[in-house]
Amino acid sequence: MREVVVVGAGLAGVRAAGELRARGFSGALTVVSDEVELPYDRPPLTKQVVSGTLTADDIRLAGAEDFGARWVRGTAAVGLDRERRRVRLADGVELPYDGLVLATGARARAWPGEVPAGVLTVRGLDDVRALRAAVDGGAREVVVVGAGFVGVELASSLVGLGLGVRVTLLEPFGRPLRALGGTVPDVVAAAARRAGVELRMGIGVRGFRAEGARVAGVESADGSVLPAEVAVVAIGMVPATGWLVGSGLALPGGRVHCDERLFARTAEVPGVAGALGEVGVTGAAGGIDPRIVVAGDVARCDAVRSADGPVALEHWSNAAAQGESAARNLLAGPAAAGSYAHVPSFWTSAFGLRIKSVGLPGTGDRVVVEEGEPGSEKLVEAHYRAGRLVGAVSVNLGKRLAGYARRLQEERGAAEAAGVSGGAPGRGSDEVPAWGGAAG
Amino acid sequence: MTVRISVDYGLCDGLGQCALVAPEVFALDDDEQLVVTPDPAPELAGKVAAAARACPVRAISVEGA
Repeated sequence: MREVVVVGAGLAGVRAAGELRARGFSGALTVVSDEVELPYDRPPLTKQVVSGTLTADDIRLAGAEDFGARWVRGTAAVGLDRERRRVRLADGVELPYDGLVLATGARARAWPGEVPAGVLTVRGLDDVRALRAAVDGGAREVVVVGAGFVGVELASSLVGLGLGVRVTLLEPFGRPLRALGGTVPDVVAAAARRAGVELRMGIGVRGFRAEGARVAGVESADGSVLPAEVAVVAIGMVPATGWLVGSGLALPGGRVHCDERLFARTAEVPGVAGALGEVGVTGAAGGIDPRIVVAGDVARCDAVRSADGPVALEHWSNAAAQGESAARNLLAGPAAAGSYAHVPSFWTSAFGLRIKSVGLPGTGDRVVVEEGEPGSEKLVEAHYRAGRLVGAVSVNLGKRLAGYARRLQEERGAAEAAGVSGGAPGRGSDEVPAWGGAAG
Repeated sequence: MTVRISVDYGLCDGLGQCALVAPEVFALDDDEQLVVTPDPAPELAGKVAAAARACPVRAISVEGA
């Protein structure tokens, strides 16, 4: 392999580029990013960067100088021609490749419809700068729409600034961090209220009121209007795969479908597969493209499954591990590549709660608080499905999670040995949340 | 070759990702403070290096891995 192109310079792309070099790839390496910024880490954005304890420089990832890559920054990839093995960029340049890593990540899901100035989303450094500029400029009424991880972390950081910012957190689905399932969302809700955040749970949002061109309020589905000098729309992420439409890759739910080894699956197009040297996979539509691997938020990997089928993960640890695995497997080729084996893990912190998880909590049918008091701020909760452990969540008590991670690994090994792996695909985090239309 | 681990406790935030990768060497205590087993066996070098890479705040450095 002489030329490898990595599209995306977030954690997954940077880890892939680093691993290619670490594994002895000495050919031409090009990393493409649509951001002008040097690569940076995202988890601190909503916490330490908003609070001002870390700066942009503190969160830089390894860069060009670390692995002798050519970097194309501020230019998006706009097309993929697999037959000619070329990535087309927004400025018309075409990059040839022998190997390609798809790691374009995700964007913040935009509000469906026009929004006035002062309605922000938070995904990158620029977004955080805009939010801080608004607050530093005197905005004191902030409404956060969406109580997922981004919304909750932002609410916590803003009330913690000590500037007297009043934060209202709106969540039409009833509980903050509801993806965790179990009892932890209620612990988070109580802590948020105690910290002074006004929670409006189970109420949808109809739209935004403006005065002049700027936002002045957020209109709830019940008709009430909350005053807002700034509103943050934190309603999830959309994988950045629009540029791959028409490439012949399988894009279920907008994610790039990849096999257990992270090779991109192809959509079934009769007559084209042979010309591209695609490898047929028994029982699946299409085959794989042996020159293309996928990593991070864009990946829907067959090796990451709940009982309902493949699940896409939008976690730091998944992006890091998949970036490295994808690079190794690209160099090894499909025949020698290994299955992506990674127990999902996640952490967040807000309102004095350090929450960590392993596996896929929220996909179980039974939740048991196995350490600490239910409802307290120090507990470990296990999630079971059909009697099998599927995940665990800790609040301020992370010491036992390593044990749960080991059990999850053992469960997976046992399930694979017994030939039980997944069911019908389709459910999971690819569902489009019922914001906007249904909420309004 | 011996594996030498150093942790920058100024950076460490007790996220525990290292303990998931190499529980033989890294653990959290009741207060989610990181506890490191000194002088891990040489055959754990690969796991220790992976644990360092799994640290989101880059608090772990390893020599001899």
